[in-house]
Amino acid sequence: MQIAETFAVAAPIERVWRFITDPATVAPCVPGCQSYEVLTATSYKATIQIALGPIKTNFNVIVDLTKAEPPTYLASTARGEEGGKASTLTAKSELRLLANGPGATTVSYASEVALVGRLGKFGLGMMKKKAKSIGEEFAVAFRTRVEAETASQGGTAGEVLSADNAQAGA
Amino acid sequence: MTTTVPITLTINGALHQAFVQPWHTLLHVLRDVLHFTGTKRGCNQGICGACSVIVDGEVVRGCLSIAANCQGRTITTIEGLANGNTLSNVQQAFLELGAVQCGYCMPGMIIAATALLKRTPKPTEEEIREGLSGNLCRCSGYVKVVRAVQVASERGTS
Amino acid sequence: MKFYQPTTLKQALKVLANEDDARCLAGGATLVAMMNANLLAPSALVSLSAVKGLAGITRRKNGSVTIGAMTRHQAVADTAALDGGQRLVREAAALIGHPAIRNMGTIGGSISHADPAADYPTALVTANATVTIENSRAKREIDAQNFFTGYLETALEPGDIVVAVSIPAGVAGAGSAYEKFARVQGDFATVSAGVVLALEKGVCRHARIAVGGCAATPIRVAAAEAKLVGSRLQDSAVAAAGVLLAAACDPIDDFRGSSEYRLMILPTILARAVSKARVRAETVS
Ligand SMILES: Cc1cc2nc3c(=O)[nH]c(=O)nc-3n(C[C@H](O)[C@H](O)[C@H](O)COP(=O)(O)OP(=O)(O)OC[C@H]3O[C@@H](n4cnc5c(N)ncnc54)[C@H](O)[C@@H]3O)c2cc1C
Ligand code: FES
Ligand code: FES
Repeated sequence: MQIAETFAVAAPIERVWRFITDPATVAPCVPGCQSYEVLTATSYKATIQIALGPIKTNFNVIVDLTKAEPPTYLASTARGEEGGKASTLTAKSELRLLANGPGATTVSYASEVALVGRLGKFGLGMMKKKAKSIGEEFAVAFRTRVEAETASQGGTAGEVLSADNAQAGA
Repeated sequence: MTTTVPITLTINGALHQAFVQPWHTLLHVLRDVLHFTGTKRGCNQGICGACSVIVDGEVVRGCLSIAANCQGRTITTIEGLANGNTLSNVQQAFLELGAVQCGYCMPGMIIAATALLKRTPKPTEEEIREGLSGNLCRCSGYVKVVRAVQVASERGTS
Repeated sequence: MKFYQPTTLKQALKVLANEDDARCLAGGATLVAMMNANLLAPSALVSLSAVKGLAGITRRKNGSVTIGAMTRHQAVADTAALDGGQRLVREAAALIGHPAIRNMGTIGGSISHADPAADYPTALVTANATVTIENSRAKREIDAQNFFTGYLETALEPGDIVVAVSIPAGVAGAGSAYEKFARVQGDFATVSAGVVLALEKGVCRHARIAVGGCAATPIRVAAAEAKLVGSRLQDSAVAAAGVLLAAACDPIDDFRGSSEYRLMILPTILARAVSKARVRAETVS
């Protein structure tokens, strides 16, 4: 299934780029993200909880950044498995940033997500809506975070968060 | 911790006992524990109707019935319809009209038809189609099935 | 996995309160299918089959009808208690699945699972039903419309049991209808619509509409109902209501129909339900 989202952030493109490429700032914006771990400069591991009605499950996801053109383009792949390998999830994503003047950035991303296994057979139509709402929640959380830091004139919110989450990820 | 549940079922008139796990279905117990293999497993999802059995007079899905929840109930499977070597009216009509092809859906189909005729002894064609709508047949195209139920209905109950 | 077979509601509520991740087992038509598909493995099943007082249909003096949570779909389909503005609930029950599913499935199980394409949610929202919920601490009532909160999501909290659903007598002289479009007999709805109407000399004086299969929950739009009230239910008024409803919907794309397709057929399904309900309201008044 395809998931795409475009949203505006009131912050300069460089700051948005820094936020979106730093797992410490981006991970807390991902709905259901329980923990993450930095593996290398271009790969991360995260545990993400997915819920659809009575079904609740954790995916262990590995994200690889495959191409980066700062500050406008980022391509990544993700591969995740449920405990017991009952389902696997793969995603190919592209992210584009566009400067809309000095203090404004448009973020757009498109992902092609495939879900195979027990969850792949269940309620695909609902899953797709769920994925869309996760995308929207992410956009809101991300925008709030970046704009909060921008409002406090490039304060240390990002660093504080990264300390918190390094702990959560450990 | 798992609860093992002892159950007693009356199947086709005889008492049977089994120890079951909470997730075991009636279909599992019938086929794989007590060896009433006439009842078939198709989808295990409630969709195909191959597992249809009659519990306390009503047709249900064996694959969606938790066995532990069936304690004390009275069950009729396809094996229980004939009286010795004499087939039930429904079975006889299916046989005569050639309603059966590969036969996989037939235990469920005949059980559902039997339950339908008990509830509605003189069904219209529409009622027959509705009554058997939960039983999928991949071979026959249903025309002879519907006809067989009509013939069984004309001949009266059982 | 544990298995409990309580015989009183109190016992059932106690088990639910004490067991983490226990699930009620009603008809099993959805829960067991999900267990078979390896989608759920609760720590315990709490069977409601032997709990006294959960099944049955009661009509009260004030005309409201209470349906116990463990009442099977077939019993609701067969009841004479639901008439006039309440009739669509019986009509919806009769359209659920197949005979075997109607012999197994319960109203409590159906609304607790809250499939957006299921029949009861839309019918109950149309009929302005109330859901009675109990847990080990308290009992509460909630409007059907507020009970359904999302895809397979409801106002139920862990430890809650749906005890009953009540359908008010509603407006005197009303007629109602539930219309469902499905690919084959017994499938979930691609689109469904529930309508309650009351007329006075051919003019609509009361209307309540909900559509199903078109969003995460049944959709009601006050402005769409307002289009009908005061009208003679002519095609243009019904079509205008359909447009307003469609605008509030956001259907899923799946094998039962694409989002566009569902929005396209919605006005037709609504018009069918309106014309059925209208004939019934005319014979009443
Ligand atoms: C082949 C097939 C076709 C179907 N077609 C349709 C259709 O056309 N339209 C339609 O609407 N439905 C359809 N259904 C669904 C059917 O109506 C189910 O019976 C219903 O959704 C679940 O009811 P149940 O009593 O079987 O609940 P269960 O499967 O036992 O339970 C469902 C869920 O609700 C919870 N639960 C059950 N009772 C309560 C309670 N009292 N309080 C709190 N939680 C509770 C359970 O823990 C579980 O999570 C179909 C099902 C099948 C298998
Ligand atoms: S095996 Fe039970 S309905 Fe298919
Ligand atoms: S006869 Fe082959 S499936 Fe019905």
